[in-house]
Amino acid sequence: MSDEISKLPPQVQERLLRLQQLQQTLQTILQQKQQVDAEQAEIDQTLAELEKTADDAVIYKAAGALLVKADKAKVNADLTERKELLGTRVTVLARQEERMRSQLKEVQTKLQEDLNPVSAQSQQ
Amino acid sequence: MATVSKDEELRKLSMELRYFEQTAEALQQRLGMMNAAMTDLTYANMTLESIEKEKENAELLVPIGGSSYVKVKLAESDKVVVGMGAGVSVEKTLPEAKAVVKERLDELEKSRAAGQQQLSQVVERVNHGRARMEELLAELRQGQQ
Repeated sequence: MSDEISKLPPQVQERLLRLQQLQQTLQTILQQKQQVDAEQAEIDQTLAELEKTADDAVIYKAAGALLVKADKAKVNADLTERKELLGTRVTVLARQEERMRSQLKEVQTKLQEDLNPVSAQSQQ
Repeated sequence: MATVSKDEELRKLSMELRYFEQTAEALQQRLGMMNAAMTDLTYANMTLESIEKEKENAELLVPIGGSSYVKVKLAESDKVVVGMGAGVSVEKTLPEAKAVVKERLDELEKSRAAGQQQLSQVVERVNHGRARMEELLAELRQGQQ
C-alpha cells in the first residue's frame, strides 16, 4: 500500500497526508464533543435529582477521594456554572467540527481531481 | 460482467461486515459495562439490606482494598449517602436509598435487554453476511477454474 502511495506525485502524496491529518483531528474533536455531551447530560440528571431533594438535605461534594459536606444552593450554582462552561465548549467544538468537515471536503474533492483528472473534467 | 458485479458485491459485503463486526464489538463492550454496573448495584442492595438489620454502634469492617479492612462503628443505621452523579452525593434514609438502587437496577435491566436484542440482530446480520461471502467466494473460485 505504502509502495503504491510512493508512486504518486509528491503533491498528491502531500494531499493524502493532509487528508489523514484532518480525519484524525476531526475524530479527536468528535471524541471531545462526545465527552462534553456526556458530562452535560450527567449534570442535567444531577440537577434534576437535586431539585427533588429538600433544601435542608445533607449534601456532599466529591473532593478527590473524599466527600465534603456542601450547601445545596452552592452545589446547584457550581453545577449550573459548569454546565454553562460546557455549553460554551460545545459551541467551540461544533465550530471546529464544521471547519474540519469543510476542509476535509475541499481536500477530498482536490484529491479526486488529482487521482481521476479526466472524469473530473468531463463532469464539469 | 457477472464477475465484476460479484467482485463489487464482495467488496460491499466486506465493508458491511467490518461495520457490523465493529458494531457488535461496541455493543458487547456496552453490555459488559452494564453487567458490571448491575453487579455493583446488586452488592449495594445486599449491603443496604444487611445494614437495615444492624443496630447503631454495631461493629463493622469496611473494605479499603487489597483484601484489607478497617474496624468502624455504625454511627447511624437508618441513613446512607447515595451518589447522584457529577460528584454530588445526598444523604438518604435506608428505604429511599434502596428505592434509588432498585430504580437504577430496573433501568439498567431495560437497557441491557434492549442492547442484547440489538446485539442478536447485528450478530444475525454478520452470520448472514459471512454465509453470503463464502457463497460468493466459492462462485468466484469456480469461475476462475
